[in-house]
Amino acid sequence: MTAYLPHPVTSHDELQAELTRAFEHLQGALAAGSPVVVLLEERNVQATEEPLAAALAHGLIGLVRAAAIEGRQAGWHVAALSYLPHTDDAELQRWVGSLAASASTSGSLVRLGGEHLGRVAV
Amino acid sequence: MSGPLDVREGTPLTIVTGASGAIGRAITAERIRAGHAVLLVDVAPQVIDHAAALRASGAAVAACVTDLTDPGAAAVILAAAEALGSPTVLVNNAGITRDGRLLKLSADDFAAVIGVNLLAPMRLAEAIAPRLPDGGSVINISSRAALGNFGQANYVAAKSALVGATRAYALRWAPRVRVNAVAPGLVNTAMTQAMPPEVLDKLVGRIPAARAADPAEIAETVGFLASSRASYTTGQVLFACGGRSLAA
Repeated sequence: MTAYLPHPVTSHDELQAELTRAFEHLQGALAAGSPVVVLLEERNVQATEEPLAAALAHGLIGLVRAAAIEGRQAGWHVAALSYLPHTDDAELQRWVGSLAASASTSGSLVRLGGEHLGRVAV
Repeated sequence: MSGPLDVREGTPLTIVTGASGAIGRAITAERIRAGHAVLLVDVAPQVIDHAAALRASGAAVAACVTDLTDPGAAAVILAAAEALGSPTVLVNNAGITRDGRLLKLSADDFAAVIGVNLLAPMRLAEAIAPRLPDGGSVINISSRAALGNFGQANYVAAKSALVGATRAYALRWAPRVRVNAVAPGLVNTAMTQAMPPEVLDKLVGRIPAARAADPAEIAETVGFLASSRASYTTGQVLFACGGRSLAA
C-alpha cells in the first residue's frame, strides 16, 4: 500500500514502536521499489496537541526526508502529506497518487487546508 | 564524590545530560560561568571525575551516573539534584549515533537511537518541568540533521521528532516554562577529529562558516536560550550550524 497512516500513540514505548514500525515499512517498500506517502494530521505537524503525537509526526517527516536523500539516485518516491479533519477524501487520494508518482517531490511535506499559513515552517 | 556541597541558597540549578561529552562539558562550563550550580548526568562513570575536578576549582556541581533509557532515570536524577537545590534549567544534551544506510539499518539500531535521543529527553522533560519555577527553561539539543542527512535515518527521525516535542511542550507549559531547541551542525569533537581528513574537508566545505563549531559556541547558544535575554522566546529551534542549513 502506498499510503502509510501511523497508529496513534499514547505512551513513550508506543512512540518508539510506531516510529520503528514506520521505518521498517519504509525499508520494505522502498527496497521493493514501491512509493510511500506518509499521512499526518495537520494539528500534529503544528504540534498543537499531544507531545507524543507531535513527536511522531515530526519523526516521520524526518524519516521521509532522510529516505529521500538516500534514495535520490535510486529514484525512491517518498513524501509526507498532512490533512485536516474535514479534508475531502477524494482530494487526499489525488494527492497521494500525485506524490507517489512524482520523483521531484520526494522528501517534501505537502500541507493541505491552509491552516499552516502564518505559522512556523516545518 | 565525597565532601559536603556548599551551595548558596537561591543558586539556580541546571541539569545537563550527556555531560561527559565535548558539548556537554562546554555547556557545563557555560552554566557555571552563568552562576548556576550544575548536575552533570551521564551514563559514563567518568562524569564523576569531571565533576570532582570542577568542584575542586570551586564550582557547585554534582554528578549522577544513570542510563537515560531506564524509565526510572528521571527519579534518580531528581534525587541527585536535591543536593544542589531545585532545578531551574534542563538541558537535554545526551545522544548517540548508530549510522547506516537506510536499507541496511537494523530495527534495533533504529529503536536504540530513538530511545536515547527522543524518549529519554521527553521522559526527563516531563518529570522535571512541573518542578521548574516560573521562568524555568528546557533546552533540547536537536541537530541540523533534523532537516535530513545521508545514512542517518534513525538520527534524523529522532532529532526531528524532538523538534515536534519541543514545540508541543512549549505550548503546553507556557507561560511558566520556556522550551526551545538548539540544532548544531558539525562540531569539533573527538569523533570529528578522528575522521579521515578528506571526509572532514568535504563536510566543512558545505558549511558557509568554513569550519566546524567549537563546542563552546554551541554552549553559548544554549546559555542564551536559558537566560532572561531569551525570555520571550519559546518553541523555537535555533540552528547553530554555521549556515549549513542554508547551503546546498
